[in-house]
Amino acid sequence: MAATTEDDNLDDILDEWFIESLKTYKDLHVYQLEHPTQVIEWTSGKTVCVGGYSSSRNEMLELHLPLKLFADENKGLCAERDFKVLHGGFTDGPVRCLVHVPGTRFVVTNDGLSSDLQLWDLGGDDSDVIRRTGIVEGGRKRMMKSFSEGGSRIAARPSLQPQILHGAQSCDIQLTDLNSGRTLYRPGRAAEVRDSPRFVLTETDSTDLLSSLQFVSDAVFLAGCCNGNVYLADTRTSAAPQLSPPPLSSGESVLWWTDASTAPDPSCCRVIRLSSSGAAVVSDLRKPGGRAVRQAQLDVEGHHFSPDHVKVSWAPALDGCVSVSGLSRAVQIYDVSLWGAELQEVQPLFEHRGHVISSQQSDSGVSVRITSHVWHPERPRTLLSAASDGSVHVWDWIDQSAAAGPEPGSQ
Amino acid sequence: MPEIKVTPLGAGQDVGRSCILVSIGGKNIMLDCGMHMGYNDDRRFPDFSYITQNGRLTDFLDCLIISHFHLDHCGALPYMSEMVGYDGPIYMTHPTKAICPILLEDFRKITVDKKGETNFFTSQMIKDCMKKVIPLNLHQTVQVDDELEIKAYYAGHVLGAAMVHIKVGSESVVYTGDYNMTPDRHLGAAWIDKCRPDILISESTYATTIRDSKRCRERDFLKKVHESIERGGKVLIPVFALGRAQELCILLETFWERMNLKAPIYFSTGLTEKANHYYKLFITWTNQKIRKTFVQRNMFEFKHIKAFDRSYADNPGPMVVFATPGMLHAGQSLQIFKKWAGNEKNMVIMPGYCVQGTIGHKILNGQRKLEMEGRATLDVKLQVEYMSFSAHADAKGIMQLIRMAEPRNMVLVHGEAVKMEFLKGKIEQEFSIDCYMPANGETVTVTTNPSVPVDISLNLLKREMALGGPLPDPKKPRTMHGTLIMKENSLKLVSSEQALKELGLNEHQLRFTCRVQLQDPHSDPDTLHRIYTHLKSVLKGYTIQHLPDGTVMVESIVIKVSSSAEDPNTKVLLLSWSYQDEDLGSFLSTLLKKGLPSGLC
Repeated sequence: MAATTEDDNLDDILDEWFIESLKTYKDLHVYQLEHPTQVIEWTSGKTVCVGGYSSSRNEMLELHLPLKLFADENKGLCAERDFKVLHGGFTDGPVRCLVHVPGTRFVVTNDGLSSDLQLWDLGGDDSDVIRRTGIVEGGRKRMMKSFSEGGSRIAARPSLQPQILHGAQSCDIQLTDLNSGRTLYRPGRAAEVRDSPRFVLTETDSTDLLSSLQFVSDAVFLAGCCNGNVYLADTRTSAAPQLSPPPLSSGESVLWWTDASTAPDPSCCRVIRLSSSGAAVVSDLRKPGGRAVRQAQLDVEGHHFSPDHVKVSWAPALDGCVSVSGLSRAVQIYDVSLWGAELQEVQPLFEHRGHVISSQQSDSGVSVRITSHVWHPERPRTLLSAASDGSVHVWDWIDQSAAAGPEPGSQ
Repeated sequence: MPEIKVTPLGAGQDVGRSCILVSIGGKNIMLDCGMHMGYNDDRRFPDFSYITQNGRLTDFLDCLIISHFHLDHCGALPYMSEMVGYDGPIYMTHPTKAICPILLEDFRKITVDKKGETNFFTSQMIKDCMKKVIPLNLHQTVQVDDELEIKAYYAGHVLGAAMVHIKVGSESVVYTGDYNMTPDRHLGAAWIDKCRPDILISESTYATTIRDSKRCRERDFLKKVHESIERGGKVLIPVFALGRAQELCILLETFWERMNLKAPIYFSTGLTEKANHYYKLFITWTNQKIRKTFVQRNMFEFKHIKAFDRSYADNPGPMVVFATPGMLHAGQSLQIFKKWAGNEKNMVIMPGYCVQGTIGHKILNGQRKLEMEGRATLDVKLQVEYMSFSAHADAKGIMQLIRMAEPRNMVLVHGEAVKMEFLKGKIEQEFSIDCYMPANGETVTVTTNPSVPVDISLNLLKREMALGGPLPDPKKPRTMHGTLIMKENSLKLVSSEQALKELGLNEHQLRFTCRVQLQDPHSDPDTLHRIYTHLKSVLKGYTIQHLPDGTVMVESIVIKVSSSAEDPNTKVLLLSWSYQDEDLGSFLSTLLKKGLPSGLC
């Protein structure tokens, strides 16, 4: 069938990719939100929260993943392929950071304009409206222009006490108890709770901008900074946190993102740092100074990126795999065990190019960018990714290198 | 204020059957007449007792409109028309009129023959009911009677599905039926103009979902077919003649071509004939691509798809077969199913909903042992896949439709209330319109603000303009006086003189006089002057004149002063005014009765 118009051409390219996907994906779902999101946060094993990031009013939605994805036994009989909107609400500003408080129906958001956080109740079965229930004050009060100057990073304590760690810079990280509203820890100041140890980040209050905050165990957390510094702190002691400077001499304009794998024993947790020039470095937190255990140079296509949208993530259920998005047009998955000790170019294990391919269908000349991605907490190869055109994909990829050999006969 | 009432008899907050009553401008219209597929007893029919406790519905309804041929929208039509009783007009589009009776007959056969029910409509009832149908064309205004007019719009969703615009006088309602806003491979997307109805009634079954893309569903279909073929299995796809079958054929053809597959694909001949026939009739209802394909070649001259013969079912090796009927309840698809069910390499792909009582329904519910005629059991070892291709509007689609039509109010039916509060809030905030979600039997009353067109005479307009003041502005209404004449069906606003002339009446003038007594130790002219000063200070903005003939005039009211004969300090004021100045006249007399303030010079 001859392609007569440009539309037909684009349709063909998309068809081509879909047909190819039969071999490369086990499951694939493609959705179009009304407004793009840059956050995807699990609120349970089957539900995620997303939120818009336009400068004024936005929607925040709690979505249930398609039933078909989970119907492992009777998959054929389940025709349900859609996201279900379980709850929805409105925010006054952009949702730049969204974190779920484990064991509760609360989420905490930050709008990137100040370091204050908004607290929301997602709601139960009796209503589908997400309501704002409070504010958590942050350290900085000034309105900042962009995220990297004022927006807060947030992490929720994994334990059942609803406490959140938040801050925009390394000197204003604080741990707040959501029930009481009290600040439990704050760097460099006497703790408000008498018995709690004082928490000091560094001896001189460094003002590194944060790119991530993450609990690696119930009491130990990691603060990743944009300049490549990584602080590892234990909230139970008053000892100064361990500092790992950036692994490579990086220029002023190079930005870094960090992720730690949440192993049971924090002392052997691995950290991966990704630079805006594509250098990816894995280090072991047991070694102070954090010398690289493995590293690689990723191909970033000289691509214009938005610091908010870059993400590097360890696979929670697939040993040694990491995913990267935001520096190129695809979500790339790498097997770190194949990396050497020297900085060398490597090939991804898998690339999800669905967003850029299906976006060629749209009229605007602006190229689509991937804004976020997450792994499913338990299913080893299931990911969700979101892009600036409002698309959200749910995909379960096939490991071609493993598929090269014969299928294992029995479990 | 006038009102429009909407009452869902079915749908409302219940997915299963659609039947909505609308009262507008004194007319009663029923929208859809669906069957609830989940019930076996009377609950599956809408509750018509809401309209009348006993007897026929003809006197209570001005018309019935059916949006499309799905059973949850037309399944109760023969029951309502022939068993409850309705002889008025029934409107539906041409394709719906052609396809409805086929589906109703199938449904009847299954329910009566397979399930052995007795209180159900008969074949003759279906025929009698269809005789009352008046077919509609898209975008064509149809006068149901002098005051009620309807117009059908393209809804997508399935062949022949329509959204309908209902108008009585200056009030209007749009009912969407089922629709979708993203084009299919074989159907376009719903479309409506900026008709600004008072109410838009929309289905909201999928309002709280975000639909997976069409291509992903197709991908799933191709994946399943491919997997079966690869392992040497046979794939049966039971279809109803229209639409979906065409789409899936085109898909497979493209896929086979690209992947260079050799396995045969068959299409049962009965299907081909029917489909061709319908497509020729309803080509305008499909989208551009299909039309192009149909014009370029016969629909079914596919390279890889051939006509089926019964004997092929026994051929060894992989193959794909499209056969009717769609729910595996009889005929060729059932025959093939019986032959292939025992082999686990084979597959049956059900592309849509199956009615209770059919084999399709049973296997989709996981049944693996089926009872066939003559007590034989059939072991179902083949893979059963349920795929849903039918397109509905999701949350985004509903917002798009509202943007297109710009209704003044929104009514959502066919959804669950608790799960729609967010959507309601979203609609109310984004469009600043009210959004209602009535339950079955609950009436929503919406007051409308109809505009009444009135012709104004040029002379009256000129006169108003001559009075000066700001230019006419729709945001700043100005009061004006005139006489409203209603002649035949038109309304005219004219000046009083013109009205009198047209009606052949003489103008009468009414004048009032009033005497007010006042104590004032001054001469008459001085008293008059004091009155003049007093009024001037009180009545600012009015024209007050002290005339040389010894009167004071306030607008057109005349005031004269004279003394009483007995006492020169007792003044008698004579006030005279015309009927037009009644208000001012009364005010003046009351004011002057209070006397003059002492501080006046």
